[in-house]
Amino acid sequence: MFTHACRRQIVRWMWRWSVCPMDAGRGHMSFCSTRQEHLQSSHTSQVPQRPGAQLNVRSLLEMGFSETQADEMHEGALKSRGKHVPSILTVLLLLGLNPASILKIMQKCPEVYSLKGAEIQQRIDNLRKLGLVEGSLQRVISHYPKVMVLPIKRVNMVSRLLKEKCHITVQQLTDILRDSPEVLEEDLARLEYKFQYAYFRMGVRQAEMVKAKMFRLTLSMLRCRHCFLERRGLYQTPDKKGQTLILNPLLKDFLCVSEETYLTQVAMATAEEFHVFCKLIEREQEEEFSNEEQELGDDDDDDDFDEKHWKTGYKRDKK
Amino acid sequence: MAAYICTRFCINKFKDSVRFIPRRYRVKSKWAQTRPKFPSTTIALQNFDATYSIQLGNLWPSVRAAMLSEQKYGALINNFSSTASLITSELEAEGCIDFIGSHQHSEDSMPLHTDSAEVDVSKHATHEPRISPDIKCLVFPQGDISRFKPSRQDSSGLLGYYLLDAASVLPVLALDVQLGNTVLDLCAAPGGKTLALLQTHTVSYLWANDSSGSRTARLCKTLQSYLPRENLEENKIQISSFDGCKLGPIEEKRFDRVLVDVPCTTDRHSVMVEDNNMFNRSRTKERQRLPLLQIQLLMAGIQTARPGGEIVYSTCSLSQLQNECVVQQAICQAQEMGISVQVQDLGWLTRCFSNTFFFAPQLSVGELVLPHLCANFGPIYMCKLRRSN
Repeated sequence: MFTHACRRQIVRWMWRWSVCPMDAGRGHMSFCSTRQEHLQSSHTSQVPQRPGAQLNVRSLLEMGFSETQADEMHEGALKSRGKHVPSILTVLLLLGLNPASILKIMQKCPEVYSLKGAEIQQRIDNLRKLGLVEGSLQRVISHYPKVMVLPIKRVNMVSRLLKEKCHITVQQLTDILRDSPEVLEEDLARLEYKFQYAYFRMGVRQAEMVKAKMFRLTLSMLRCRHCFLERRGLYQTPDKKGQTLILNPLLKDFLCVSEETYLTQVAMATAEEFHVFCKLIEREQEEEFSNEEQELGDDDDDDDFDEKHWKTGYKRDKK
Repeated sequence: MAAYICTRFCINKFKDSVRFIPRRYRVKSKWAQTRPKFPSTTIALQNFDATYSIQLGNLWPSVRAAMLSEQKYGALINNFSSTASLITSELEAEGCIDFIGSHQHSEDSMPLHTDSAEVDVSKHATHEPRISPDIKCLVFPQGDISRFKPSRQDSSGLLGYYLLDAASVLPVLALDVQLGNTVLDLCAAPGGKTLALLQTHTVSYLWANDSSGSRTARLCKTLQSYLPRENLEENKIQISSFDGCKLGPIEEKRFDRVLVDVPCTTDRHSVMVEDNNMFNRSRTKERQRLPLLQIQLLMAGIQTARPGGEIVYSTCSLSQLQNECVVQQAICQAQEMGISVQVQDLGWLTRCFSNTFFFAPQLSVGELVLPHLCANFGPIYMCKLRRSN
């Protein structure tokens, strides 16, 4: 219902611009900036400005923003010198977001100001194609506005990597985009490495990864929590048949939870132990990485135990 | 122990030279491209999971994680080097603490053992032996994972400090060598504890023995790198490579102090390093005979001690079979031979250093340093005996 009201309003403005070009010439256009007086003299001789080129507080109020919200929005728009702010707002309103959410989005991610409405619309349509339907789509955009800044090519590259190389199903991909949209910004090689770590080193399958919202975490955090459990004897990598001698805790039970819960319920250790362990593991990784680089240089084909484990079944072309 | 070398994924490719020496002492040549299906480290770890989870209970996961992570070293300062004080101040500037010297100022740091925190050290001053002030061992504070750089030679060619597991110094402190004592180190190689003994300046005569010829050579080299030539004279130090068990009847009642640091399953080494691993299938019989060998060595140590002399038995394993059981069995066997030995309490030692090390609670005999991520030293077991007749 709210969308209807918005749509009517938008149509009204478009009608106004097309019918009264002279108003634009007099400089008293709906979306003029506060520097109206200065521009008025130059405006009369110029072609009427393109509608939506500039923003003013009154029009924001008409859109449904409260006074404070309108002020803040206007300030933000000026600061980032966005040229197509009205079209952006149009698109967002069409999506069904209320003015308060829109303001929050713009404040969270000022880069949105510098985009064009048409671009945003294309990107939103792309996300719809990937399965983000109404409800999820709005939620993702509200919580992670950066998704609108990312080019379509980038989003599609990540999706393709997940679907083709990681064998993630379409439904799982939608879930990942909904729960952890940060994955779209991640470096592709690191993303694949993280997946391989979970798949081979931890023996976890895609469904469990998605349920545990694993893609939200960085690789180092994943490794810290996993290796801590493994070295304490509470987690075992399954063998070829997928069997372990002990019952591994579920991924969602130790990844999605806070550090305190993880330490008290799953690892049953003190925070000091865990922090020292994280430092040690980080150092181990740095050294293994530099050793690997050295070995590559020596043309030595002695492999890490872990590396050999991973080479089965996966094409490591990033080397 | 040598300076830190990451040997976890080390595969040597030297040409195999076959000589008539035990297989495990031969230089390894790995032709295989893949690792063995069940490496000895895995077998060792499974073995420990089965035994120690019962023995240590809730403490085992912490100990396990610590043993599988990089261990922490201590720097034993070489008092014979001219740069000893300079090195000490350099290391202290980096944040190191001499845990031996500072044990009396231990109220501020967080105790690893919550129950021993309230005990007042001064109350026991009359009972406890004096801790040798000459042994200096610097460690980084709790939670600090910095590494020591390898030590450098001073102007006379002596090294400034020796890197070892800081907990290895505890049996030497427990031995409490008094001025003028003669000391026997029955299984001395590679020489860390021997070096610590010599730092006390109270030893009038030291006999360092090890059954293995190659390890004795290594011990020699170590002592030569740290001690000036005048301290290595024959009337002060004797190095030999006899079978320690046979020394018992030969050198009866001769020494004031005896250190018996027996060969054991070297738990930490067994779960990390594949080479010469005690849990290798070819060494199964040797490993199964270990407790017997340990009892024999301890018996030899008891026999060589004079009446009133003290013996410290130490291992670097957590296993009860190699620790408490060996001590109790040796006490029984000594009684049968007419020698009476009493166990000496080492509670004063654990109370002094409970802020640096993590001690296992309530052992039947002796004390055990457990590896813990915040204080990744050990495992070291030690037990002190006193021969009365």
